Amino acid sequence: MTIELNNIKPRYMSESEVSGSDIYLQPHVVFEQGKRYMVCAKSGHGKSSLLNFIYGTSNAYDGTIRFLEKEDGREREVERTQSFKVNVLSYMFQDLCLFPQLTALENVLLKNRLTNFKTDEEIRQMLASLLPPDKLGQSVATLSLGQRQRVAAVRAICQPFAFMLLDEPFSHVDKENACLLANMVMDEVARQGAGVIVTALDPVDQIATDVRMNL
Amino acid sequence: MPAQIVGYALTLLFGVAIILVVAQAYFDLRPLMTQQTDVFKAHTVTVSKNITIFKTANKENIYFDERELGKLEEQEFVKDVAQFNSASFSTSAAISFGGQRMSTELFFESVPDRYLDVQSDEWVWDSTSDFLPVIIPEEYLSLYNFGFAESQSLPVVSEAMLSQVTFNIFVEGNGKSKVYDSRIVGLSGKINSILVPESFLLWANREFGAGDKNRSSRLLVEFNDATDERIPAFFEANGLNINQTELESGKLSFLFKIAMLFVFVIALTIVVLSIVFVVMSVNVIVQKNRSLFVNLYNIGYTSRQIARFYHLTISIVSVVVIVVAMVMAMWVRGLYVGKVDAVFSLSGGAWQLPLMAFVLAILLLVVYNYATSRIIRRLVGE
Repeated sequence: MTIELNNIKPRYMSESEVSGSDIYLQPHVVFEQGKRYMVCAKSGHGKSSLLNFIYGTSNAYDGTIRFLEKEDGREREVERTQSFKVNVLSYMFQDLCLFPQLTALENVLLKNRLTNFKTDEEIRQMLASLLPPDKLGQSVATLSLGQRQRVAAVRAICQPFAFMLLDEPFSHVDKENACLLANMVMDEVARQGAGVIVTALDPVDQIATDVRMNL
Repeated sequence: MPAQIVGYALTLLFGVAIILVVAQAYFDLRPLMTQQTDVFKAHTVTVSKNITIFKTANKENIYFDERELGKLEEQEFVKDVAQFNSASFSTSAAISFGGQRMSTELFFESVPDRYLDVQSDEWVWDSTSDFLPVIIPEEYLSLYNFGFAESQSLPVVSEAMLSQVTFNIFVEGNGKSKVYDSRIVGLSGKINSILVPESFLLWANREFGAGDKNRSSRLLVEFNDATDERIPAFFEANGLNINQTELESGKLSFLFKIAMLFVFVIALTIVVLSIVFVVMSVNVIVQKNRSLFVNLYNIGYTSRQIARFYHLTISIVSVVVIVVAMVMAMWVRGLYVGKVDAVFSLSGGAWQLPLMAFVLAILLLVVYNYATSRIIRRLVGE
């Protein structure tokens, strides 16, 4: 699958604000499955917006976003539906979108119940390798930001996907933990042969990327 | 949510129970209302002229002439006018009783069959038949049983016994005469006369009567609306005598229907309010937990899946409430059926109750399914 952006611009940003962008207002931007894209920009330049437009949580943009599927050597457009969130696009939100009343385990299971992608045991093991053992049964509200980010990362890989969208994924964890997280996510990406779009303030070295773009 | 659910359940229970009771009572009591009036048509009365001292001298005055009939027919509140036909020949009945022969002079009248309150297969006559069915007023039997038989120490007679007795009817006039076999095929509670089939009377008046003129001293008048205030005034002004009790029962049936409708509308309002209440509650709850629902939608749950919990909860509560309301309505029905059955046998069971409850339940489920998924869809911006 490829994602094709044509003349995309957030409605709430002026043309001068997005001038010089490699993506916004460019007639033809393509994200290919299997490649890793790093999108860098300062805050307020619409990094999260870009991922939200692709994921479908926001429609406040001009231009078109198309999802193209290769079939018998020909490209066919696929309409994005709610089921994309279950089996085509995985998104690690910047604000994480966890359920604070639920425990770390329950948060991941809630997603996995939709996808049936991992066994409960696998999820338990992944969480145990990232969190102190006594934190697994605590509500997410009591966890630190870094710990929550790990829960969100585990949740993000509990589904089949063609693209992994990562919105400043390692902003709240130290370098060592960032490496651990990056490896876990990238292992899954490699296993599924998926593409990655990762946003960051500055280029991050935990993820080896094929293409770097400035927003 | 629990408090709202309890409040919803109670108001819905109240409303649905009243609706079911009223609707069932309507179905149950409608035949009773119509039976009283229907036989004698919805709003039909017997009309005759007032007999005054002057009219006793000139008997012609008690008959209705064409002009008077026309005047009556053109009144707005009159739907239909039918005439009592009376025999213009002499008749007598005779019965042989243990070797003894008793005979009495008689008179006959007839009314159109549609005004008759007696259903009998034997109520037919054709010119080749020697059998002549007769209907007499119920009061005649009562008069005999409770008056005559009592004072003369004679046995009492039931309607079934009476219809077994055969007798002969002699018809005479125009120098011709004929003997018919006859039986009483029914008792009329409404028409105070000795009736024979209309086809016979019209034929016999030509055959034996003084002429082919069928004169009527009594009319059956059917009204569009028996509660019309112009009716008593009109009859008063024209010196006509009407059977008031018939009008009373018409009024009663009208009031009964109005009262039913009134209660029904109130109950319906209660039900609608309870529905509005629960939908508003869901809306408030959803708005309060906005981020929760948006998060669920963001990680891939569909609006239908998110709405399912609320839809399911409300639906289950509604169905349980409707079943309870149905049981309550059954119980209430039991109370009045016992009383009504003593004077009037209610035909059939209460099959309308489950049917109405079922329709109501389906209706509510559809409304809630639509409302809850709409609330969620709007929230997540689908």
